[in-house]
Amino acid sequence: MNKKFLVILFASILYLLTITPSITMGQPSQPQEAQSDSAGKSEVAIQIDKKTLNNGGKVIVSGKAPEGKPVYIEVWTEEKVRAARLDAEVDKETGKRPYIFYMTDEMPAFYNLLFPKEFADTLEAEKKLGRKWSVSALLRNTGATAVFEAPAQAKIDRYQTTLWASIIGSRGELLPPMDKSENKRRAMQLVKAKFRDLPVVFKANVEINPDGTFKAPIELPSNAPPGKYYVVAKVDKDTKSETVFFENNITFPSVYLDNAGRTVNLFVPFLLTAAVTTFGVLMGAGGGFILNPLLVMLGLPHTVVAGTVMPTVLFSQGTGIYNYSRIKFISWKLGITLGLAMLAGGFIGPKLTELITLDQYKFLFGWVLIILSALMFWQTTPKYLERNKKEQAILKEYQRRAQEAAKKKEEGGK
Amino acid sequence: MKVEFWGQEFKVNLFIGIPGAFLIAIASSMFGFGGGPFMVPLMAVGLRLPMYVIVGSSLLAIFFNTLMGSFRHYGFGNFDLIFFLIMFPAAILGGYIGPKIAKRLNPVIVKRVACVGLLILAFQLLGVF
Repeated sequence: MNKKFLVILFASILYLLTITPSITMGQPSQPQEAQSDSAGKSEVAIQIDKKTLNNGGKVIVSGKAPEGKPVYIEVWTEEKVRAARLDAEVDKETGKRPYIFYMTDEMPAFYNLLFPKEFADTLEAEKKLGRKWSVSALLRNTGATAVFEAPAQAKIDRYQTTLWASIIGSRGELLPPMDKSENKRRAMQLVKAKFRDLPVVFKANVEINPDGTFKAPIELPSNAPPGKYYVVAKVDKDTKSETVFFENNITFPSVYLDNAGRTVNLFVPFLLTAAVTTFGVLMGAGGGFILNPLLVMLGLPHTVVAGTVMPTVLFSQGTGIYNYSRIKFISWKLGITLGLAMLAGGFIGPKLTELITLDQYKFLFGWVLIILSALMFWQTTPKYLERNKKEQAILKEYQRRAQEAAKKKEEGGK
Repeated sequence: MKVEFWGQEFKVNLFIGIPGAFLIAIASSMFGFGGGPFMVPLMAVGLRLPMYVIVGSSLLAIFFNTLMGSFRHYGFGNFDLIFFLIMFPAAILGGYIGPKIAKRLNPVIVKRVACVGLLILAFQLLGVF
């Protein structure tokens, strides 16, 4: 039976080794094509005061547009990240829930659309709607629908999800690609799904003078991805400046998490993980319960948190099993029987992570933690402690016997 | 199902065990945690097994879930290599420090602190405050 375990462990190590190169090599980020056209160049002039930034900062954009026209500034990075959304809202026309899953891997990891200052109230009004704010309504109210372009170019896949598809762990049937305007409409929803808060993406800070000159600050937070950032000033669909760019460099200890689309100070997750796993050992529960919500609160996507924390415990679980198996302290029959049921569950769960929004993740996780907290409390009640004391004594006794038996066998073998 | 463990025989009610393990696995792989704190009570209370049978066997059962969950998350593109490389050594460090401190602390107090901490975290997630 020992061998069986070793095979599993070996397979998992082999798996980890084989996947590593494919990740480091994967996902070359294609720079977006410059969207300059000769007609636009003459009408809107643009310049930026810096060519490089270190770990975020501020770049001032200035220029000149035709007099009396609003100027919008679009900023996006060449880094791409995933954005996904399950459309389960009741369709007004048919009265049914569509259950269509929209997903793109080409959402800019940083995107900003800056509006003229006069739209500050419009933005504020949309922000007041709380979670119900909508990108399309905001763009409509500010006349900016035509200038929303960079995210609209992301190729969005859509899948018809069904309950059965979720159970067998599939995204569902891939539907035919959308036309340009539908793709743009869905891109607006994905911008909200990815960046969540209105002020993260949309700001009303373009100062426009009567003679048509304009000026605006672009602020890159320290968690912004490294690489090239493109900037275009636009009046409408056809009247725009050429594309200018600046570069953001990140330096140690900042690292860019490719899949999360975010730069983090590497000491933050390191110290957090070390502290939480230490505490996890003390309270007798894995660290994931505390670690995951904290990482999500730091702003990392819940899909990446769940998908990356899980493999980190594989190793410690593996050594634990190995140690128990050495003293024959595992019932293989029981462990494998329940393990197969868990194997099936583990097949389904990760699909669901993708389907739920961050808010739903937080809500459900909140309830899981309340249940866990109740279980913990139950384990400190006098009745439980008394029973546990006896059980622990028996456990120690059995462990001692098992260890002795293992030792004897070893000596006998020599 | 009958399970033999160190000369003793236990009856395991699979009608509770299998659906329970299945549901715990769905939840834990969905949220990305191990599932141990739920599996242990399931096996102790639901299946009426003594602790010494549970400790090793529950770990083995959970390992299946973690393995499958990790594969699946990877398949869906939820795995971030650099993030993993940061957390992995930290988790091992924590696993090394933890047991050293554990001997000096009263487990009941630790659990009560954890209880309060988890509730605070839960209320934060639920947006109560």
